[in-house]
Amino acid sequence: MLAELERASGGLWPYLVVIVIGFLPTEVWRIAGVLAGRNLDENSQVMVWVRMVATALVAGVVAKLLLSPSGALAVVPLWGRLGALGIGVAVYFAARRSVLAGLFCGEMVLIGVGLWSR
Amino acid sequence: MIRLAGKPQGDGSQFWSPFRQGVAQAAGLPSLVLMASLIGVGGLARDIGYPIWAGVLSTVLLWAGPAQVLLFGSLAAGASLPAIAIAVSLSSIRFFPMVVSILPLLRGPGVGTGKLLIGAHFVAVTAWTEGRRLLPGLPVEQRYPFFLGFSIMVMCAATFATGAGYFLIAALPAAFAAALLFTTPMFFTLSLVAGSRTPADWAALGLGFALAPLATALAGQDFDLLVVGLVGGTLAYGLHRIRGGR
Repeated sequence: MLAELERASGGLWPYLVVIVIGFLPTEVWRIAGVLAGRNLDENSQVMVWVRMVATALVAGVVAKLLLSPSGALAVVPLWGRLGALGIGVAVYFAARRSVLAGLFCGEMVLIGVGLWSR
Repeated sequence: MIRLAGKPQGDGSQFWSPFRQGVAQAAGLPSLVLMASLIGVGGLARDIGYPIWAGVLSTVLLWAGPAQVLLFGSLAAGASLPAIAIAVSLSSIRFFPMVVSILPLLRGPGVGTGKLLIGAHFVAVTAWTEGRRLLPGLPVEQRYPFFLGFSIMVMCAATFATGAGYFLIAALPAAFAAALLFTTPMFFTLSLVAGSRTPADWAALGLGFALAPLATALAGQDFDLLVVGLVGGTLAYGLHRIRGGR
């Protein structure tokens, strides 16, 4: 059924996906937040659980991007991808919790491995 | 609308002066950080064969890096659309308490539900943390325009980066194109690490990472992220309770 829909909507399919699969499931929580109005305790047990689930989800997607990358990232071998990630995190701590320093050094390691392993 | 005595409604500086302050506040590091986080999303969109405007639209409409990465990353992995929608929604529940907790700071004279809905759309990690830090120091009537100026500035920078990433991924030599796609996992790992305060946070991070390959093998490409999020998150929450967390 989805394949038929995809054909019927032609070139608009990616926009439909972004709006229906991406925008609506996200925005509904912002709208709910405005409508709920009253002050909900962000440290309540339910919200702690929500934070844990969201953290695990994002960590999961990061792992999937690194372990089975599509396209351009696949030219760097697995050890290079994981090594660059580990060094980026280490530099983050070494540079007194600087996200930009960690990002920059992780990228440099990845580029180095990518150039060397060709 | 409430008219303030002696202040004509059409006085634009009432709005634009704090709006510009917000833009100026956002123009440095906050914009740079968001550009770094979304440049890879443009590459991801191109990687799955989507047009540039779909990638750009996702930044303007979703305004949630992790949800965009989930969306395009799962499409790349070939997951089913309903499963992706659920995973995206689960990752965005956090906006509910974030919006609720920033609302009292945005309310002011003439700021009704309609304007609050617009303001709420911009709520994401950066605008929320910076808003909670900076808004209390401003006069009540300046907070909403300041927040809008700040948010629109960072969104413009991030949207530009998304489009730039889309083109760069094709124009760059292989190792640099790989680095562009690597921006996303690297940045989100660092921002998770930066946001982890308790052992339970670290457990959620570690479990999410470690369970991913296992879940793909057991639950398949469609539902693996849901399994990772629900199982990993609930286990971490259990640890939080065992340690007597409140």
